[in-house]
Amino acid sequence: MLTTKLSCRIASVVVAIGVASVVAGGPAFAQDVIKVGAPLPLTGAVSPEGLKQKRGYDIWAEAANAKGGIKAGGKTYRVEIVYTDYASNTPRAVQSAERMITEDKVQFLFAPFGSGATKAASAISEKYGIPMLAPSASSAEIFNQNFKFIFSTLTGNETVSVPIAKLVTAKNKDIKRVAILARNDLFPLAVAQEFEKAVKAQGLEVVTSERYAIGTMDHSAAITQMRAARPDWVYASGYINDLMLIRRQMNDLGLKAQVITLIAGPAYQEFAKTVGPLAENITTMSWWHPAVRYKGKDIFGSTEAFNAAWEKKYGGEADYIEAGSAACGAILQMAIEAAGSVEPAKVRDAIAAIDAETFYGRVKFAPGGQINSLQPPVLQLVGGKPVVLWPDAIKSGELRFLPK
Amino acid sequence: MIYLQIAANGLVLGGLYACISVGFSLVWGVLNVINILHGTFIVLGSYVAYFGYAHAGIHPFFSIVIAGLVLYALGYVLQAGIINRVVTAPVLITLTLTFGLDLVLNNAMLVAFTADYRAVTLANPLGSIEIGPVFLPGDRVAAMALALLLTVLLYRLLRDSSIGRAIVAVRMDREAATLMGVDVKHINAVTFAIGAFMAGAAGALLSIIFPISPLNSQVFLGKAFVVCVLGGLGSVPGAMVGGLVLGIIESFGSYWFGPEHAVTLSFGLLLVLLFVRPSGLLGRRGYE
Amino acid sequence: MRTWFALFVVALALASLPLTGNNYLLRLATTVCMYAVMAQSWNFIGGLAGYPSFATAAFFGFGAYTSAILQNHGAPPMLAWGCAGLAALVFAAFLGGAILHLRGHYFAIASLIVAEMLREIVNTMPGTGGGKGMNLPILKISIAAQAQFFFYSMLALALFCTAAAIVIHRSKLGFGLRCIQQNEDAASILGVNTYAYKTAAFSLSAVFVGMAGAIYASWVNYIEPPDVFDVLLAVKPLVMVLLGGLGTIFGPALGAVILLTFEELVWRNFLTIHAAALGLIIVVLVLFLPNGILSLIRERFPRRERPR
Repeated sequence: MLTTKLSCRIASVVVAIGVASVVAGGPAFAQDVIKVGAPLPLTGAVSPEGLKQKRGYDIWAEAANAKGGIKAGGKTYRVEIVYTDYASNTPRAVQSAERMITEDKVQFLFAPFGSGATKAASAISEKYGIPMLAPSASSAEIFNQNFKFIFSTLTGNETVSVPIAKLVTAKNKDIKRVAILARNDLFPLAVAQEFEKAVKAQGLEVVTSERYAIGTMDHSAAITQMRAARPDWVYASGYINDLMLIRRQMNDLGLKAQVITLIAGPAYQEFAKTVGPLAENITTMSWWHPAVRYKGKDIFGSTEAFNAAWEKKYGGEADYIEAGSAACGAILQMAIEAAGSVEPAKVRDAIAAIDAETFYGRVKFAPGGQINSLQPPVLQLVGGKPVVLWPDAIKSGELRFLPK
Repeated sequence: MIYLQIAANGLVLGGLYACISVGFSLVWGVLNVINILHGTFIVLGSYVAYFGYAHAGIHPFFSIVIAGLVLYALGYVLQAGIINRVVTAPVLITLTLTFGLDLVLNNAMLVAFTADYRAVTLANPLGSIEIGPVFLPGDRVAAMALALLLTVLLYRLLRDSSIGRAIVAVRMDREAATLMGVDVKHINAVTFAIGAFMAGAAGALLSIIFPISPLNSQVFLGKAFVVCVLGGLGSVPGAMVGGLVLGIIESFGSYWFGPEHAVTLSFGLLLVLLFVRPSGLLGRRGYE
Repeated sequence: MRTWFALFVVALALASLPLTGNNYLLRLATTVCMYAVMAQSWNFIGGLAGYPSFATAAFFGFGAYTSAILQNHGAPPMLAWGCAGLAALVFAAFLGGAILHLRGHYFAIASLIVAEMLREIVNTMPGTGGGKGMNLPILKISIAAQAQFFFYSMLALALFCTAAAIVIHRSKLGFGLRCIQQNEDAASILGVNTYAYKTAAFSLSAVFVGMAGAIYASWVNYIEPPDVFDVLLAVKPLVMVLLGGLGTIFGPALGAVILLTFEELVWRNFLTIHAAALGLIIVVLVLFLPNGILSLIRERFPRRERPR
């Protein structure tokens, strides 16, 4: 039999080392700093998206600090964002969020990437009463929880489905048959379901509606099936790598349709660059696009100013996740200044009460925490570049159809 | 009519699956090692082809040899240096070891290349070949043809060359082979290296078809498992047959039951097979 | 006797942890207990019987979803946890019937595949939320109280599991399993009902893990298939047992503590290479320390073998 006393001793020594390293880890912080926790997937399956969020947060923090910091209650606070990598693993995201609150003593949180992880983390922000701003969560399931501390800068999935359904049917009465292919996880599935509702409401017929598993690398079966149904309009949801593959395989297998809509990849520049000529005339919707023009009272002041700052720091243009992330920071700042305090509960109330124009668009939150004041544009890729088809106020082109 | 297209999809896919799996099958059958690194080797091969094309304009089909050789070297070193120490140990140990090594290699690739999906966008793609109602994607068909060619070459190597015969000897009876003067340690390393070569070559072929990222390695590994159990371990014709059968089953299964069930289907098949006929369609009873 | 005393001392020490008032520490300790349960459970089938099972992830996810579904239909948490454990037990018994006749590699693969299949089945099944995941009801008590509640629940499970291990290791079942590990055919000839014993071990490896999955689901309030059927959940218990000492009683728990400590240190300081760090541990462990840390200790401090 083993020496039980010895094993107990070893266990307690190991635990002691562990405890010491954990407790000693927290840094001391200066008096006038606002700490915002941002657990992000910096490695793993959705790391490209995680890095986008980080860029958005950083550009905001830099802008805020460049102007001297955030002023509230007679004091000026420097902004510090605390990052941690949860490796695209949702339970880790939740754990990171909690650790940031209890150990790093952050006063506010930026949400992890995506509806799934945001939903999971929202339980933590709600438990601890820490306002959390989410730039990449759109699904109703999060806001139906009626939590008080979660706020999202993406409008509901129906706002990126209904406008395009209406636009296409208005432009062409011959578009009757719709084929839908959705990825089987929270956001892509939810947005595809909204789209299906929207086209049915317009009187169109959904001839096939299929889902594909996460990590599918071959869509030939689904595409063959869609082809057999002779659709006029093909819709697919997923993340950028899925959509690039689907578009190429559609071409390989001879699936043609007059309208091809993909959500949510074509809004990113990489899409057009990678699929080349196959990107032509692809339609998509995006919560924000550099082509919009808004003026506001936020730290950036206007869309153009934001675009210029982005170009200067990172080169190129921001996409909706990047802009949304910066917007989360800008909104937080506005709320702190309006509340005149950095107390989480007061700032929370200020966020809930916001009704203001920003570089990102008009910002106002519904009771469950979701923004309901945006008008996501409908976009079409022409010559590799996005053209705005709707709303009319910022339109820059007309819908084009692919050859039959 | 649609069944023709579905069947064609399945065969093309199946040829690729066969190529993915043959190296894995060899290592498992001969060395009795389940090489969890196999999927990661494939992805590494894809990256070699990708960078070759992006920086030097080398068409991925030519990169087959380059990727294969790079992986051969890596495989040899890994086997001779590390894996050989436990090659006679029980399953638990060897499986866990290759799992650990895979974590290291995969993470290294993630750090070096990031998880961003890359795609080889050929300047002159082969387009689609239309044969009646069936569309055959040109690049995939070419890749499949090359994959089958490679597999046949491997088969000839094992049958005809002296190294090939030594490998088969070791598979049949390790002790007897040693008595016959075969340097088992070297043969072990060569076998593993050949498996890695095939993985790298497959990766280069696949680079024009699938998106490239370290995150895909598990998917490839999963397919290799099923193909090996389907076709029988250590058997090259087995891997071919297994691959084609899996391709067909997945294609028709996706059509009948929906694409989201494709993975469940192939794994369910695996379980049924393990229950009913673990030695596979063609293979002899492999190692337990 | 000494073993029971040790268990009691450790239990007492851990039970007083909440007095430190550090929620994060409590969270870590809860995770250690969960890991210990998984490792200890794996030890029944992997360490004693010698069957390399990778089904831990399947049982964990199975328990998590069973409990989530029950709770969403109104069942109180603790009842749901108990039912989840029972369900996992039954599931394992059936599964065992299907795959326990396989040996070595084939058994390992089959057990690994089960988790993948379950994940995909849950992904597409109605009533589980599919790819969207499932919410669990949040307890209406304070955060500190919640942290303590889950800690004590996991601790109780871990202690119970270890107690079961102590009993079983010394029982006829344990003896029979060790015989099976050494030479299954010989054991069978000698009269050991290998089928029954293996199934028992496999079921034991499932029941506590299923409950751990259920408690975990309530703890994090939201589960989705890739998280609770994660292949790492199948591999880590193995690593922990190897670390601590295959087939021993306290080895798994020791391994759990060491692994968690290591993970936390790596996560804080070497974010981008945490997977590689785990991989490195595994490689070093397998190559140089296949009998675990306890074997090192036994070499340093040899005890007289008591005749049995």
